[in-house]
Amino acid sequence: MEKDFLEHGLNFNRRRFLSKLSLGLGSVALGSLLIPDLFTGGMDESSLPPGIPDFAPKAKRVIYLFQNGAPSQLESFDYKPKLREMMGQELPASIRAGQRLTGMTANQASFPLVGSYYDFKQYGDSRAWVSDLFPYTAKVVDDICIIKSMHTEAINHDPALTFFQTGAQQGNRPSMGAWLSYGLGSENKNLPAFTVLLSRGKGNGQGVYSKLWTNGFLDSTHQGVQFSSGEDPVLYLKDPEGLNRFERRKMLDHLAKLNEISYQEFGDPEISAKVQQYEMAYRMQTAVPEITDLSKEPDDIIKLYGPDCLVPGTFAANCLLARKLSENGVRFVQLYHQGWDQHGNLPSEMAGQAKDVDQASAALITDLKQRGLLDETLVIWGGEFGRTNYSQGKMTKDNYGRDHHPRCFSIWMAGGGVKPGIVYGESDEFGYNVISNPVHVHDFQATVLHQLGLNHEKLTFKHLGRRYRLTDVSGKVVKDILI
Amino acid sequence: MRITFKGFAEHILFAANVFIVFLLAFEDKIGIPYWLQPFGRMHPMILHFPIVILMLAMLLESFRFKETYLKEPLYQNFTSGLLLSGTLFSALTVIMGLFLSKEEGYSGSLLQWHKWTGVSIVFVASIIYWCRNTSWYRVKLARIGAVATTLCIILAGHYGASLTHGDNFVLESVTGAKALPKVPVAEARIFEDVILPVFSQKCLSCHNLEKAKGSLMMHNVTALLKGGKSGKLFVPGKPEISLLLDRIHLPMDDKKHMPPKGKDQLSNEEIALLRLWVKGNAELKKKVVDLPVNDSLRLLASTFLAPSAAAEEKYAFAAADESAVKKLNNNYRIVYAVAKESPALAVNIYNKSEYKPEAVKELEAVKQQIVSLDLKGLPVHDEELKTIARFENLRELNLNFTNINGAGLKELQALKYLSTLSISGTKLNYDFVKQIGKIKSLQKLILWNTGLSESDLQQLQKSNPKIALISGFKDDGKHPIRLNQPRISTDVAVFKTSLALQMKHPINGVQIRYTTDGTEPDSLKSRLFDQSLLIKGNTTLKAKAYKTGWYGSETFSANFYKSSYQADTIQFLLPPEDKYSAGASKVLSDHQLGDYEINSGKWVGFRKNNMETLMFFRQPVMMQSVVLNVMRLVPTYIFPPVEVEVWGGSDKNKLRLLSKVKPEAIKNGAERALIKVEAKFKAQSISYLKIVAKNLKVLPQWHPGKGEPAWLFVDEIFLN
Repeated sequence: MEKDFLEHGLNFNRRRFLSKLSLGLGSVALGSLLIPDLFTGGMDESSLPPGIPDFAPKAKRVIYLFQNGAPSQLESFDYKPKLREMMGQELPASIRAGQRLTGMTANQASFPLVGSYYDFKQYGDSRAWVSDLFPYTAKVVDDICIIKSMHTEAINHDPALTFFQTGAQQGNRPSMGAWLSYGLGSENKNLPAFTVLLSRGKGNGQGVYSKLWTNGFLDSTHQGVQFSSGEDPVLYLKDPEGLNRFERRKMLDHLAKLNEISYQEFGDPEISAKVQQYEMAYRMQTAVPEITDLSKEPDDIIKLYGPDCLVPGTFAANCLLARKLSENGVRFVQLYHQGWDQHGNLPSEMAGQAKDVDQASAALITDLKQRGLLDETLVIWGGEFGRTNYSQGKMTKDNYGRDHHPRCFSIWMAGGGVKPGIVYGESDEFGYNVISNPVHVHDFQATVLHQLGLNHEKLTFKHLGRRYRLTDVSGKVVKDILI
Repeated sequence: MRITFKGFAEHILFAANVFIVFLLAFEDKIGIPYWLQPFGRMHPMILHFPIVILMLAMLLESFRFKETYLKEPLYQNFTSGLLLSGTLFSALTVIMGLFLSKEEGYSGSLLQWHKWTGVSIVFVASIIYWCRNTSWYRVKLARIGAVATTLCIILAGHYGASLTHGDNFVLESVTGAKALPKVPVAEARIFEDVILPVFSQKCLSCHNLEKAKGSLMMHNVTALLKGGKSGKLFVPGKPEISLLLDRIHLPMDDKKHMPPKGKDQLSNEEIALLRLWVKGNAELKKKVVDLPVNDSLRLLASTFLAPSAAAEEKYAFAAADESAVKKLNNNYRIVYAVAKESPALAVNIYNKSEYKPEAVKELEAVKQQIVSLDLKGLPVHDEELKTIARFENLRELNLNFTNINGAGLKELQALKYLSTLSISGTKLNYDFVKQIGKIKSLQKLILWNTGLSESDLQQLQKSNPKIALISGFKDDGKHPIRLNQPRISTDVAVFKTSLALQMKHPINGVQIRYTTDGTEPDSLKSRLFDQSLLIKGNTTLKAKAYKTGWYGSETFSANFYKSSYQADTIQFLLPPEDKYSAGASKVLSDHQLGDYEINSGKWVGFRKNNMETLMFFRQPVMMQSVVLNVMRLVPTYIFPPVEVEVWGGSDKNKLRLLSKVKPEAIKNGAERALIKVEAKFKAQSISYLKIVAKNLKVLPQWHPGKGEPAWLFVDEIFLN
């Protein structure tokens, strides 16, 4: 954007130089030195960043199954028998080591440790521990890489979520999908490069806002496009009555001419972004219905994802839709499943949440694999932080809650050049601190970009006088988990 | 004789020499008490002093007999003092070192070399010190002694450094080559190039020919198979009962844990490698590439052999002409470089309706550069494979859900690099697929949902062991899953005379069976839903979905209420609470029921006042029952009314009390519920109806808000 404004300024300079100061060719040469493509025209799509990765990528696309609200690592992938042994005993201060608490438990007089209500078993060749809540995920454990040593900086949902998605706890920076769209462009010009799908479980939920899929200071073509969770994922795709395809084309052509005039006058790059969005919408009219039509999926697929995959707005349906979008070249498909904030009633609420997502998440892995797509699609499953090893509020034998915990939690990744069937990182026996191979959120982000062929230190955008990156000023690629 | 400082030091040196000899002689019999261990551990600190001091002393010593220096008392005294203190320091260092060597974790030939070169420094330097003033000690001898001591220092230093920092510490970053595999993955053998190196890195130092701890030697196959004094190392195929893995998995503090505490431990990957190797029958001859592509052992072994991110593929061809690439790009065909400065191109083609075979033909302009081609979902026929076969550098080809039947697959034999072929969702003819092995470079074949039978697939895998066949998920019918509930077409729960209902289910071919009498539906006797269901009175509908191959769904349940009359006006004699009064005069008879969301606009809330409404009917109606639909949500102070009075008549000012109901008091711990409070009376004609519902004015003692008034929430009044 900066460049475009500068170019616009220089356009006036060029005119002034040529007409009034008669410096002639000298200033033209200077201008083209400053902006190499100064004379190649303004609104041509080819002047956009070409979208070529820095190095050959392992993954071409990402599907991010965000578990919004933060699922407990202690009832999913981080097996801690010690917590059951020490049920009800106080969390040792030496383990907590001054960790700040949320307002919800800061005044709690005691911190009684609580073990998982659900049993764990080992699965697959990797012998990874998975809780009984995730029987389907357990079956694909040899295809995924479980990271048990994630840690973050924020302790509340919104900042933590924003941090995961944009690399900063405050809003207004571009989301990961927007960065990828900016860095790599779209694979399929008939679909947006970054789409967002929402679903909601019955558990205690936390909001998701459109700032999570914002383009921030990047061009607005990189913004995430939210699909509606109703029967019609994209609204107003049909031409209005009385307007056929040909008329629509003519209308868009005229509109583009008008926009071109106003672009010449003001030089605002948002005008050209708008024109491209109109064009994209036109092409989406034919591309989208084919993709969002789930009714032609074979029976095996319905059994694989579970019967909910045909009920619009469920996580299962979104997983299936995500596969179809990704298969058709959408660079980044972002899912959010709400309802993972179990401050109380954890055993029963989490069972419901797990039931919502387990089968479909595992199905997505199997489905991508049987289409030969898993190698080039990176699938990520996880929340914004973990949950405490002690109970929030009253604890009974079969009911307890867990508060937010940023210091240690688990996520999993699959495909896209990530080693299958490994467990990375370890937490202490209380499941409170990371004791080996810590992975910070910025490390995670750097790794995702790396798998798509982008160097996280080079993917920058200059805004308000400084260069911004997704990983801010840190982040190391976690090479250990890569093939 | 007055003891000088120097004389005292000389005595100490002698004593130290004797002590060292003693230590060396009785090495095996001495144990170092724990309080002396810190002394031994200071060895790496102190050792720098003798090195520097002795080196300097030896330098001075070799020039000591020079004419000019002979007459310098300072030179002579300084040299002698320096030599003495250096020797003393080296003696001290050696004693510390000998102590340290008694601690756990030090053994091996490197230590022996270090020990003896170190000890010789002390002895040689001591001899020099004691002999240096004799008559036969001249220039030549002095120089030989100096060189010998220096040599010993260098050697001892070198061995010592190798002990602490490992071999090749200094040059590691420069040579680096050690880290890289000597054997390329393609040629590596599982045992020799993967498993044995793990043993030699982590086990061999204690289990070798010279030092076979536990009588176990691990330097070659025969020794390994023999095992040690506790028995054989492993049972092929059974890692769970193999001694090797048993020892590795013992807790760190266990005496029998291997490698012993303090030694370099096995990494998780190495443990997994060993486990998978034993599980795979402890194979001794196979190559890594002989294993199936997706085999865990193969994957791990490949990473082990090429640990750093597998090098980017280098292509031997030149980049395509930029303008040619640009010309090929359009809205439905994307041709892009795989990476910056890479000549390789990837091509995706989209949109079924726009596709023509020319879209592939035109790619011949860049036929050398295409390494990946994605044609999934397009009406591609076997004919086009002839064109594709000319893309000589193609690595990945995606033909999922195209119209091929496999007849053209033989054309692909011309592709020398094709490694991944996806043909899922196509209607393949097995006779064509059989020949797939002729594509020599093929590593991965994805053919889910292709109509090939299970036996075809097995046969194919058998005749092509090197190709990873991915046949994906096929429901075998053995693990049915539960259907989801059927859904109804309406959210109206209250009706005037009758209600026509539709039920539907997202999955095709599902049967919906239902009851209207409150009993559980079953798959045989209950009525089958067909098109529409007409409800005429208060009804509890229960429905379940059934389909062969699935478990029946959980019961869907919904209640429908009849409310024959709708009042023409509703007037509140006492106002409801502001926050919950939106549209209050309508919602009580709008035929819409609320859920537990009190802000939904479907509820009217009272707290300060009782509910007192007056309803007016222009046409008098025959009425005998009034039902209030109220909420019970105890934690949020929401209670049903304590008393309901119904007044009625034909004159607004002469209403009679028709009925008075006192619902049961709420007990502590009552679950949330939507409750119907019914007031019945003799059927009579009504024009005006007044309903008074009294909220609980004082919350009971057990409630957190004891003493305060409770809320009353009403969402609908049914009149019959």
